[in-house]
Amino acid sequence: MPDFILRRLFQGLLVVLGVTATVFVVTRVFGDPVSLMLPLSATDAQRAAFAAQIGLDQPLPVQFWRFLTDIVTLDFGDSLWQRRPAIEVVFERLPNTALLVGAGLGLAVLVSIPLGAIAALRPGGLVDRLVVSLGLLGLAMPQFWLGLMAIMVFAVQLKWLPTSGFGTAAHLVLPALTLAMTPIARFTMMVRAAMIDELNKPYVQTARAKGMSLPRILRVHTLRNILVPFLALSGWEAITALSGYTVVVETVFAWPGLGLTAVQAIQRGDLFLMQAIVFVIAALIVIIGIAIDVAAKSIDPRIELN
Amino acid sequence: MTIAKLTRAASVGLLISTVLSGAVWAQAITIAIGSEPSTLDPQLRDDGGERQVNDNIYEALMARSPTGELVPGLAAEAPTRVDDTTWQFKLRPDVSFHNGAPFNADAVVASVARVIDPANNSEQMAYFGTIKGAEKVDDLTVNILTTGPDPILPSRMYWMKMIEPGYAASGDLAGAPVGTGPYKLEGWNRGTDLKLVANDAYWGGAPQIDEVTYRFVAEPGTRLSGLMAGEFDVITNLLPEFTASVPKFAAVPGLETSVFVLGTDNEVTKDPKVREALNLAIDRQAMVDGLFMGYASIAKGTHINPAATGFNADLEPYAYDPDRARALIEEAGAAGKPLVVVGESGRWLKDREQIEAVAAYWAETGLQVTTDIQEFSQYLDSLMGDGPRPDAIFIANSNELLDADRELSFIYHKDGAAASNSDAEMAAKIDAARVEIDPAKRKALLDEVQKTAHDLSYTVPLFNLNDIYGMSERMEWQPRTDAKLMVSEMKVTE
Repeated sequence: MPDFILRRLFQGLLVVLGVTATVFVVTRVFGDPVSLMLPLSATDAQRAAFAAQIGLDQPLPVQFWRFLTDIVTLDFGDSLWQRRPAIEVVFERLPNTALLVGAGLGLAVLVSIPLGAIAALRPGGLVDRLVVSLGLLGLAMPQFWLGLMAIMVFAVQLKWLPTSGFGTAAHLVLPALTLAMTPIARFTMMVRAAMIDELNKPYVQTARAKGMSLPRILRVHTLRNILVPFLALSGWEAITALSGYTVVVETVFAWPGLGLTAVQAIQRGDLFLMQAIVFVIAALIVIIGIAIDVAAKSIDPRIELN
Repeated sequence: MTIAKLTRAASVGLLISTVLSGAVWAQAITIAIGSEPSTLDPQLRDDGGERQVNDNIYEALMARSPTGELVPGLAAEAPTRVDDTTWQFKLRPDVSFHNGAPFNADAVVASVARVIDPANNSEQMAYFGTIKGAEKVDDLTVNILTTGPDPILPSRMYWMKMIEPGYAASGDLAGAPVGTGPYKLEGWNRGTDLKLVANDAYWGGAPQIDEVTYRFVAEPGTRLSGLMAGEFDVITNLLPEFTASVPKFAAVPGLETSVFVLGTDNEVTKDPKVREALNLAIDRQAMVDGLFMGYASIAKGTHINPAATGFNADLEPYAYDPDRARALIEEAGAAGKPLVVVGESGRWLKDREQIEAVAAYWAETGLQVTTDIQEFSQYLDSLMGDGPRPDAIFIANSNELLDADRELSFIYHKDGAAASNSDAEMAAKIDAARVEIDPAKRKALLDEVQKTAHDLSYTVPLFNLNDIYGMSERMEWQPRTDAKLMVSEMKVTE
């Protein structure tokens, strides 16, 4: 196991470096970071001074070497937009995103397991068809639209919750619900399909013949069996949420997390902040991947980690 | 109303604090702006979010009336010219900073020195490039020195915020500003909101609104929802199509003008007839009505802002005459020839829509039009890079100083970053106007440049865009021409 983790960490490091290097190349080779980062009104002298200040007047290999050596100390340079270390901005916003993703996915897990299990008990029944339809709806609705609709209904019309912002538990409800919608749909579909599969297996028939109650069969046997694929899907959803959903949801709800910050960094041409965000997100994705594998192994010892 | 809200919120068992906040004091308002200030240091960035807050905390020697007229601010009167490169400002007496330090000649000298210090690499140097320094004459008199004659120095000083020298040396200008303005910073939750409170010792009298909270909401639909839910009193950049759904709104001509810059040395567009045809082919009124719901005005034959000093008021908007446009293209032998229209998307209000509508009008003249919507950094390279000039490139150009010089230098001067012509004579006139101290002579030069550029269709000016603000029922406020969000000019009726 420690062997495995070490090897995966090493592979992860390569992935993170690869992603960051790609960002470096894309931003410096295709497009001029100086005109991107300075306002349209900047003079030629300002552009030159700025290029020199951030080292863009150096040859690319020199820039890349400096970039790599700085990364080791998590020094991504000062965010141009906020005029303070980019990594400081990232670490300030990361907990907000973690809170949002945690709440959203937590909610999705709590809702989808019972929903999927109930649907699986009578495939093709009324409940099942209802759940499947809702699931398809959840998958089809764009989060952007869903978020705005949720605001219109719960904040503007009913006035139950604030429209946007950050600070209290009430502010978390709508963004977390919006973020949870797609994962709920996907989890439910997955739980339903896996459960139908499991419930048709001979061991369930045997257990029932022994007189074991259905809830107990579900709890003791079948749910455990689908836990590993469920875990894998959760990891995947967490990664999608971090690198995609949060961008939309945080923008709609003015939630001060990494996703919104990434949008703003791109809009303002804040190259250094973008690099820091990409680096941290890539690192998180690697860590989540490893954590899921390790968790799967501890649930089902038959899994070969190599 | 408070009680009603309370019962309703309690009955559904949800948090009530946020619902209540904002409804407690009549004199507290909340403004939703699109982007958070990058810093509260007033001298480093060229940043709209920063200005929307700092314009209330800091002041400059000159100010503008709501209609755009240049008036004394921290200066006691309009400056006088001592010699070609020196302007003298008399300062308003008995003004002090929020920390009690007096505002005087030393503060002006330090403010000028700090913003032009190369070590600070201020983005605002685009506005202050001609300033060499400042000298104290006496406690309430300062000379501003320029590198050459600078007729628009007074306008420049409207842009330079005055800082407290002692605090600048030791305090946290970026996070805890100290100015002379009607409001002081109360607190700033990065990423979420920022609060200002009235400065009761303000030299111009305490403002009516005691407390203002800025919320940072990037998404226009969410700003609208917040206004409709009663959480916000003022929202910026209301989309034209939302004007029907808000309690109140106000629209004023803004600083931005949309325009296509034409490549006057390019194969097809080098012929003035073709360029004129491009101007005549567009039904601008239909676009004002269809795209902007009427909240834009047709540019008056040039991309210079009508409120700017040096604007040539004698020019007429280009007419809509599609038959004449087709005839001109035919006459020039350009029918069927290619025309590439370059633009971007998502940076300015309805940019893509404007580009595509215009390209469609142009295609009707008989030209072979292709539209190239580029990714922003690629677009910037097309606009300002050293490569070949595009046949036509879109830009929404903003004029913060409200003086014609920058817009002319940027787009008409052959060395201007966004210019697509090689007219040396015109460039010489712009250069001459920049150092012409006599207002009448300067105006004559600027008028001439705009007339030539108009007659030769160097650009296809489109619209002067309106700034639209959504407001709650209780707000009373007339937005300003210079787009500054001055809370001291707002009133709450309740």
